[in-house]
Order: sequence, then C-alpha cells, then structure tokens
Amino acid sequence: MSLLAYGEPAQSSDTDSSTAAEAEADALVDFTAMLQRQRQGEHGGWFGYDSKMQSTESNQGYYLEQYVLGVLDFSSQYGIDYSISYTAANVVGRPTKFPAYGDYPETFPMRTYGDWWQRAPSATREIQPQNLPKLETHDYVVVYFEEFVVPTEVAIFETFNPGAVVRIWAYGLTKHWTCLWEATESDLARPPSDSRRFAPALKKTTMVTKTLRIDFNHSRLNYYTEIDAIMLCGRTVSKTQNLLAKQQRTQQSRTLVSPPPEVIGSPPSDGTGGPISYKLRTLKFQPNCGKDGATKLHEFINNDLSQFLAANCMDGGETPPQICLTDLPFEILLRILSYLDLKSLFRVGQVSRTFYDISTHPLLYAELSLKPYWHVASSELLCTLARRATMLRKLDLSWCGGFGNVSPTEFKKFLTQRGDNLTHLRLNSCKFLNASCIENVGIVCDNLIELSLRNCATDPPLLNFSCLANLKNLERLDLFQTYFETELLLSMLEGNRKLKHLNLAFCGVSVNMDNVAAHLATYNTQLISLDLWKAHFLSARGLQSLARLHQLEELDLGWCLREASLGDGLFQLLSNCPKLKKLFLSAVRGTTERDLMHIAALGKNLEQLDLMGILNITHERVYDILVHCPKLQLLDLSFCDNIMDRDFQLLADWSRQFNVDIKSSRHH
Amino acid sequence: MHSSLSWTSRVISRALRSSFSTLLETATGGGGGAAAKGATKSGAGAGSSSSPRPRFVSVVCGFAKDNLRHKYKPGKYGEDSWFKASTASADVMGVADGVGGWRSYGIDPGEFSSFLMRTCERLVQCSHFNPQRPVNLLAYSYCELMEQKKPILGSSTACVLILNRETSTVHTANIGDSGFIVVREGQVVHKSEEQQHYFNTPFQLSLPPPGHGPNVLSDSPESADTMSFPVRDGDVILIATDGVFDNVPEDLMLQVLSEVEGERDPVKLQMTANSLALMARTLSLNSEFLSPFALSARRNNIQARGGKPDDITVVLATVAM
Repeated sequence: MSLLAYGEPAQSSDTDSSTAAEAEADALVDFTAMLQRQRQGEHGGWFGYDSKMQSTESNQGYYLEQYVLGVLDFSSQYGIDYSISYTAANVVGRPTKFPAYGDYPETFPMRTYGDWWQRAPSATREIQPQNLPKLETHDYVVVYFEEFVVPTEVAIFETFNPGAVVRIWAYGLTKHWTCLWEATESDLARPPSDSRRFAPALKKTTMVTKTLRIDFNHSRLNYYTEIDAIMLCGRTVSKTQNLLAKQQRTQQSRTLVSPPPEVIGSPPSDGTGGPISYKLRTLKFQPNCGKDGATKLHEFINNDLSQFLAANCMDGGETPPQICLTDLPFEILLRILSYLDLKSLFRVGQVSRTFYDISTHPLLYAELSLKPYWHVASSELLCTLARRATMLRKLDLSWCGGFGNVSPTEFKKFLTQRGDNLTHLRLNSCKFLNASCIENVGIVCDNLIELSLRNCATDPPLLNFSCLANLKNLERLDLFQTYFETELLLSMLEGNRKLKHLNLAFCGVSVNMDNVAAHLATYNTQLISLDLWKAHFLSARGLQSLARLHQLEELDLGWCLREASLGDGLFQLLSNCPKLKKLFLSAVRGTTERDLMHIAALGKNLEQLDLMGILNITHERVYDILVHCPKLQLLDLSFCDNIMDRDFQLLADWSRQFNVDIKSSRHH
Repeated sequence: MHSSLSWTSRVISRALRSSFSTLLETATGGGGGAAAKGATKSGAGAGSSSSPRPRFVSVVCGFAKDNLRHKYKPGKYGEDSWFKASTASADVMGVADGVGGWRSYGIDPGEFSSFLMRTCERLVQCSHFNPQRPVNLLAYSYCELMEQKKPILGSSTACVLILNRETSTVHTANIGDSGFIVVREGQVVHKSEEQQHYFNTPFQLSLPPPGHGPNVLSDSPESADTMSFPVRDGDVILIATDGVFDNVPEDLMLQVLSEVEGERDPVKLQMTANSLALMARTLSLNSEFLSPFALSARRNNIQARGGKPDDITVVLATVAM
C-alpha cells in the first residue's frame, strides 16, 4: 500500500517505509513526504501501529510491511530459468494475481506435487531416513527483503492449491538460521481450494532479519501449489550495527557437537554389569520348565512373566535388580542406536564413556545425511564426522553450505579421507561446490553407483571437461537443473553402460538432445527412467532414438518437441517399450489423435500419464485410454482446451468408475 | 528446417542463459504494478533532478471493430492490444494487432496480441531489460509463448517504442503494419514503414498449430524494422495500429497532432486521442471516402472505396523534460 497518489512508484521498493519516497515520485501530492515532515519531531513511530510509544528507546523503529526484493535460491520450479512464467522470480514484488484463484503463469509453482514421483520407477530412498522430521521438506525457496526487521508476521500468498508451507526460517545478523514456525499435523489438513493469505503465528523472537527461507511439503496436495508473493512484516531497527555487536557478544555459539566428557559415567555399585543370565540367576527365580525344552520361553512368557515381574517389584529390602542398557551386548546396542537420528546420536555420546564409544562406532556412520541439518551444517561438523565415518557408503550433503558455512576445501578433505568407498553421493543445491570439488568427486569416488547433483547451475558450468569421466559404475545420474558441457555428458554416457536412471530436466537449452538421445540408444540400453523436461529442441528424430531403449519404464518428455510433429515416433516408442509405466507428454502439442489411439492400444502398463495442454483431445479418446489402460492411476488433462466445461462431470464419473485420479482445469 | 520460433528461442535462450543468475533479482518495480491506464503526470516541482530526464505523458484510446462481439476489457480493443510501462531508466509503449484470419480456424486472434503485450509489460520490469533494444523485448515476449501451459496460437503485428531517459533517445521496433509517427513543429520528423509481404498481408509474429508450421506465414523478431532517434521536449509521438493509418490521411493526422505539441496536461491529451480515434472510426465506416487503404488498394489494382473497418488503437504521448 503506497501513499503516493496517482500510482507508479517509479523506483521505490515495495515497502511502506517512509524512506521509500524518492525524488522521482510521480504524485500530485506526496503524502508520504508530508507525513514525514509532520512526524519529524516525534519518535519516528510512523503511523503508530503500536499504541505504546516507548520513549525510553531512542532507536525505536517503525512497523514495516515489505515484499520480496529478490530470490537467492530455490530447490525447484516448474518453468525454465530464463522465463518469467511459472518460475521462482515471480515471488518478487507485490502479488500479481491474489486474490484470484487458479493456475497462472505469473506465480511460482514447484516441479512436483503429491506423491506421484515417489510412486514412479525413478523414486529414490532417503539416506539415513531417521534424520528426517515428521513433515519433511520437499522444496524450499530463499528470499531476501530490503530492510532488516524484527519479524512479527510472515504472510505467504497462495493462489493455487494452498497448504504446502511447513516451515519458515529466518536468517539473523549472527549468521544463524532460526525456525520461526513449524507446521504440526493439524496444520496440514488440506485447506479449501481457494486463494489464501497464509500468516501463521510466529515464534516470539528478538532477532533481526531480512532473509527468509520457506519450506514446502506437497505430499498431500492434489496438484501443483503456486505462490504469488511473500510479505515480511516487522519492526525496523535503526541502529542495526549496534544491535549486531550486542547480539554477537551475547550469542553463545551453538554447534551440533560438544566435546565428549573425558570422565565417564559411574558404573553400578554392585559390580560391573554382567551378562543377563548372571543377573537372572542372582534373582533366584525358578521358572516352571516342562520336559520339552522348546516350550520353555513360550510358557515363561505366557505363564510366568507376570508372576516374575510382580515378584520382583515387591521386593522392598534388597536393592531392586537392574538390567540396564549397558548390560546388553555391544552389537545389540549398536543395533538399537542405529535407529537414532544424528542429533540424538551425538547427544547419546555425551552420556558416558561407554556410550561415547558405541555412538562413535563407524558402523553407525555408514549412511550420513546432513540434509535435515542444513541450517547447522558447517566445516567443523564435517571434520568431526570425518573422524567417525570410516566406513561411509552413502552421503547426502544436500542443501548444506549456503552462506559459506561449509568450505570447499573441507569438503574435498572429507571426500579424500572417506570417499573411496562411497556408493551414493547426493550434493543437491550445495552452494559450496566448485569445479575442483567435482573433479575430486570424479577422482576419489570411482565406486559411485548414484550421483545426484541437482540444482548446481553456475556459469560457467560446474561440470566441464572430463571431471567425472572416471566414473564407470553409475546407475543413477541426476542433473536436474544443472548445466554441463555436452561432451562431458556424452563421454559419461559412453562410460557408464549400466546406467538405469538419468535426469536431465531443464538441461536442454544449449544441449543437442537428439545427440544425447542417439548416444543413449547406443550405449545405455538398460535405461529405466529418463527425464527430459523442457528439452525444447528434442526433435522427432530424437524420439525415434529413444524408442530403442527397450527397458524404459519412465519417460518424461514434458515441454519437448512443441511445435514439431511427432511423426510415428510415439508409436515406435510405445511399441518397443512395453514396460512403460510413466509417460509425461505435458505440452507436447504435436501429439495427434492417432497418437492417443496408440497410447490406448499399446500402453498396457501405463500408470501415470500426463497430457496437459495437448490440443485436440476429445473425451472419446480419454474414454479409450481409461478403458484400455487398466493400471492407470494418474491422468492429467489440465489445459486441454477441447475438454469443455460440460465434460467435467463426465470426467468425475469416470474417475470414480475407473479408479483413476483425473486432473482437469476449468477455463477462467 | 528451422522454424523461426525455434531459431529465435534458441538464440534468445542462450543469450539469456548466460545472465540467468541476475534474472533472480528483478527490479524492485514489482510485477503487475506498472502501466496504469491513465496518464502519468509531471511531478511536483520541488526536488526535481537537475539533468533533463524526459518522460512520456501518454494516453490511450480506441474502438473495437465489432462492439457486439468484444466486451470492453482493459488493455485490448477487439483484437488489438497495447501496453505501457515505466521504469527508472525508460518509458515503454507498444501496440499489437492480431491477425483476424485465424478466426476461421477456431482461434481467437486477440489472444496472441494480448499475450504479447502483457508479457512485454512484465518483461520491462525484469533485470535483463535493455532500454536500447526493443527487438529483444519482442523476442523475449515471443519466447515466453513457448512456456505457457495454455496453448496460445495465432499471430499479430507489433510495434514497440522505448524512451531511454539517460540519453533522451527513442528506440523503436516494428513488425508489420502497425506503426508510429513523430511530429515536431508541425512536421513529421519520423515515421515507421509498413512491412508487408503482399497487399493486406503484413509481417507478423506467429505461433501456428503444431504441424502446420510450413503453411503459415511467420516472421521472426529479427526481421523487425528498427529505428533510433533523439527526441526533444514537446515532441508528439503517436503509436497506432493500421486501423488508424489506413483510415486517417496523413495530413489530417498531422493537423490533429501538431495541436498538442508540448502539451503536458493529460486531460487535453486524452481529448485529442479520443478525437483521433473517433475520427478513424467514423472514416472507417464511411463507404464513400477515399481512405489511404482504398488508395493503396487501387495501386494494387483492387477497386476499393471507403474506409477499412478495423480495430482502432491510439497511444498518444508527448515528451516532457
């Protein structure tokens, strides 16, 4: 809400601050300047949103509402990065569509929704899943604003399928992230399908911030969620520098690790813990044993256990017998602790020497995931973990290292020490990666089966020359939204004949995808899943090459081949790849009615089919597909302009009849 | 065979890809806030900057050809569309005329032109907007077509004009038969050229239905006619679609435009724009009058007479320093 009359605040930021009145105000009357002059004598409490004027505080700020100034990072977006349609850049500034509800290109949707990607052949398992919180984060966006404020409210304007926000983080002056709000189970009940201004109650805090990170979990959503704008409201502080110094002085450093105690917990007074049987013997308990030894335990549990427990509870005089954790054999303890998440594991290690020894055993660090701890991951943590993780097999450092917390040198050291047996490595959105880190990966980790480098797009590309050419055992390669040099990819394809899963989403701009497809057909015939989202320049020739991948179960050709006609490429693909379970043809506008007939005829195993935005789909073809594809679970018919409004009821009926989730959109 | 769209977008996306990281930090103007429909008024005198920073005082008026079919929607007149946008470094205006022939294929011709103009408006606020290259603006807007979920087909002409405040120069790009005219001291100083393949078939940006690419006339943004020239205080600039240029003879236009030279009152400017649009409309419906369209038809051996009924869009601006 600007106070400049007659619109067009030419270069002022979208804030309500009195400092926004710039010299170029195109206003008949500059109300803001008037008010400013009026209030000069007063404390600077602009508009006095709070009635309490604290005359003692000389640096009392004013209440400020501001919209996003820029986007620092995001994990995924629907559109391609140079576009302004369906991309993260649309979060910037005032809401453009709110309070309208619908699927608009001027908003920010993420790449996935629901659990369909987890049900696809290309789904992966999380590394060290016990680390994940109950409502895990699937996607995030990091935005910054113009002015530092003490946050009192964060409002997120959702214009399509609301309900995905699960956490709000703020980055303080002391370079630490604080979670301002976290969703509970009740918050995730799906809200009504209407646009909403989502402003949950934030934790009371005195931190000062202008950078926020919003976490999303869309597993319960029906379709894509879209965000129009984010607003940060709070009280400014004018003496930011003083505050910073004060906060740094009073700040206690928080780390995940505290040094383990040298001296150790006290052993029980009646001697060292012995084996269980010894304990049982000292209890003077005689179970009833039958002749048949096999039934002893079963009988004991059924008949005598309660008696045993009762008998032993009643003892008043003697010290009650203890069976404690440390009595258990080492291997059992290890097994128990293997269910713990990393944070708890470190805490357990502080209990006693014994527990420290157990909790630092390398077998507990065979799988390591710092993704849920992205906000505290640091070089020191990596250093500590390097000491323990001598048998490291799977490593996930996704999302870590933003704002310089992890240094590339430390990462390379870690990798050199512990990386040679790595089979799975995930470095999604790692901001500390540079070309030499990738080279290191290529040199050290030659046993890699899975390599995931999502969202590592830099200019010039990280992946260049022959940095990963040494990897020969890859089965899964994920380069979602990461640029690479084509020669590197082609040589990697030639080298990794066992490749099963390949994700090249958003990479198709400067890459000749037909060439890549031809390579795949020649060298990687075991390919099971392939994602070529937004590979604009794939042509029918490339599609024909893909038809030679007979093991293909999942193919995402969204937004490819747009203005070209497919020829008989789709027919060949469907005939030669009978195992195809997931086929995405979003916006492949060259799909003809004959192609749809082929899908119905040949797509016996199809489970997920996306036909968004395809022209000339009639409901007869849809019915055909529903009848002839018995395993179909998902059918996306959004923006198919031939499906008229009167057909929506029909679609709903079919959805029930065939047990298929049919997505469709109403025209606005 | 490279269709123009595919070639254009390859070039554009490579160029944009190299600066993609700056795309994330778009200008602070905010997406939809720009381009108010009214006039921009000169600011209060106190605190004005010392160096001459020109700006447009601009107004819009127009009529749809067929009032029954087209309810009034802001930003469009029938199949014509226009936009205005403003940043710290530039003032931008543009018009686009949807080619009506698509209606017989079941495609709404106004959709393409409207999309083109709305996207130009949004793109002006992006960080990679270059105030000296209106062709880029058109090309980026054209590329955005490929990224829409809703299939948009059709074609249109386009004319975009950017006033670069730093250098007080105007850069223009024109494809097709829309155009602009600049009047100073009672004389036409600059005028755009009509681009036509043959009579009544202007150059056009188009997105044909898939598979029909070779059959459809499609010109790439690179074929736009570009001009750059300095402007002075008081210059009158008119951007209009062919509904105006085909119906109103040039001397009549000159007469009307020279009256508002140096005019800074948007209300008076609006009155002139209204009268110009009304003039065009009246003449277009007149079946006896020898309009510029009729004259040009006769030059092509077609016996035509009277005005040409068409959508009319008038964007009238004066330069104020």
